Amino acid sequence: MTEQPSSVSSTSTATRRHVLLGAAGAGVAGLAGCLGGDDEGNGGNDGNGGNGNGNGGNGSSGLSGTIDASGSNTVAPITAWAGENFEEAYPDTLVDVAPEGTGAGFQEFCRQNSDVQSASRMITDDEVDLCSENDVNYGFLEVGLDGLAVVKNSENDWVEDITLDELKRVWEFESDVQTWSDIRPEWPDREIALHARDSASGTFDYFTENVIGERGLIRDDYSATSQTNEIMGAVADNVDGFGWGGLGYLREIEDDQPIEAVPVESDADGGFYLPTEQNIEDGLYSPLARPLFAFFNIASLEERTDLIGSFAQFYTNGAQDYARDQGFYAAPDAATEENNDKIDEWLEEVGASIDDLTVERE
Amino acid sequence: MSTETETGVEDGNTLFSDIDLSWEHRKNELFRWLLIAASLFGVVMLALLLFDVVTDFYTGLTEFNISLYEFFTQDGSQEETRAGFKGAVIASIMLMIMTAVLAFFVGVGSAIYLEEYAPDSRITRLIEANLANLAGVPSIVYGLLALAAVVNGIGIGPILIAGAVALGLLVMPIIIVSTQEALRAVPDSVRNGSYATGATKWQTIRRVVLPAAIPGIMTGTILALARAIGETAPLIMVGALFVNRTPSGPTDRFSAMPTQIYNWAAQPSEHFIHLAAVGIVVLLSFLFVMNGVAIYIRHRYETEV
Repeated sequence: MTEQPSSVSSTSTATRRHVLLGAAGAGVAGLAGCLGGDDEGNGGNDGNGGNGNGNGGNGSSGLSGTIDASGSNTVAPITAWAGENFEEAYPDTLVDVAPEGTGAGFQEFCRQNSDVQSASRMITDDEVDLCSENDVNYGFLEVGLDGLAVVKNSENDWVEDITLDELKRVWEFESDVQTWSDIRPEWPDREIALHARDSASGTFDYFTENVIGERGLIRDDYSATSQTNEIMGAVADNVDGFGWGGLGYLREIEDDQPIEAVPVESDADGGFYLPTEQNIEDGLYSPLARPLFAFFNIASLEERTDLIGSFAQFYTNGAQDYARDQGFYAAPDAATEENNDKIDEWLEEVGASIDDLTVERE
Repeated sequence: MSTETETGVEDGNTLFSDIDLSWEHRKNELFRWLLIAASLFGVVMLALLLFDVVTDFYTGLTEFNISLYEFFTQDGSQEETRAGFKGAVIASIMLMIMTAVLAFFVGVGSAIYLEEYAPDSRITRLIEANLANLAGVPSIVYGLLALAAVVNGIGIGPILIAGAVALGLLVMPIIIVSTQEALRAVPDSVRNGSYATGATKWQTIRRVVLPAAIPGIMTGTILALARAIGETAPLIMVGALFVNRTPSGPTDRFSAMPTQIYNWAAQPSEHFIHLAAVGIVVLLSFLFVMNGVAIYIRHRYETEV
């Protein structure tokens, strides 16, 4: 304690004189960061190539190498679980799954910084342009179905269902809905606490496009986060909490915490449906049920045919189980057939066939 | 306190009788309590933090049946019951060893030069001032530097070496400053005695100064490493976040203890949140042990110098 004042004062006097130099040093470091960012954009290939450990050989018995997976925070658990099972089957492989959000992930994927990209929505036109600018050729698999849950606190006993129009009025840009009574006059005159995903996520894009009508157009005074469980936690903690997010996250906590899904109007038959397995797989929970995708970089497949191809096939083989294990719903059997056909197409494109892969089709 | 002023009046000392000092005394007392409250604030916050962590740790072990044995023998996993901390602990230990190797020799070498050889010139003062500035640079900046220069620049990817470079840069100024303090604590008379026997500068440093200063240097190094082991931001920048497996060498990708905790805490299930709490207890234990060793070394050797 007694030593502190003297040492502090001695450094600060010495420092003051050279503060500018220090600042200059920090500036150089910042510049290095910017330059590095540019490098990443143009020469990202080097980074990936280095991780491949030169595994390009077809038909070798032991798979090895690293697969970089970027993408959706929602789909990441499925891809990570598929990756973990893949690693277990082929111990020399590593599937590195970074769940930064679909939009943020496509920025990486379309700059050749990742081999696999999980997505909770289709690729957008802008992202297609970005990919073609960087010569990224890709294909996608359908790996599961997700419900987008509209959630409220369990102690909230007034909201029994909600129409699509009401949802739109709550969330649209410059919405004047501040209290529950603004939605329906008979609901209490208390302020709503709104929680939802930020614009980096595919869930956000999906919700804004299908509920509000235009992608990205949303009110700007809600609490936005990239972590779905923050939304769920906030709504569980507050009677007036209201929000939406991936159903998998709700399923994880709804038994322990006071949070539940709100039945939403269906655009299929006008009834109100909860996001249950039955309703989602029957197509009644619409438009808030959506397919989940995994995009694959064809250049990576060409470079490391056996590794990437095997992972694609491995993922397809088990996708229904992986999706269910992680609290999602399985894509229909037809999707698996379609995925197999796609993998055949990709392999043909790079001059290989399914027999060259270590993983066999099931 | 108020009795003093009253006795003053009773004694007939009328000179200051119109001045009421009781408010001043009350202010004195008030200020004392404010300062006590200020100094207790940190202690109370630490106690609250530890209490929170320990209760989560306890419910993790009891309600969620997290077995400590499995916690230390399993790698991370997407499946909560299969998730453990082994990979993260081993990655952190490897990271510490590499960080120590990278930072120790350069740091101590630079401190010896600055203390023993460097003339008291403008350049020396400039270097020292910059070291002081470097020690105050936010850790995420070192992470950015490692990301730009090592991960993307050289293109080696988010592997252990890249993490060690970021942490090494982070702790090097701390090691240099503490080594300088340790060298300065060696009395000049000892050096002069050595010179008087005809020893060269290097012989004096190697045989006389360093042996006397080594406990201080070790203490500073261990404390610096204890800071590095808990650093999360630079590792996140480097990109070492979502790997569940135990690294087998310095070129493997990794997720260290703090990043694994960060990762778990962002998971939706309560089980993962409590795994994070158990992880925090392990990380804190590492910190306490490292700090304990540092304190032990200081007390053990302090008297001999």
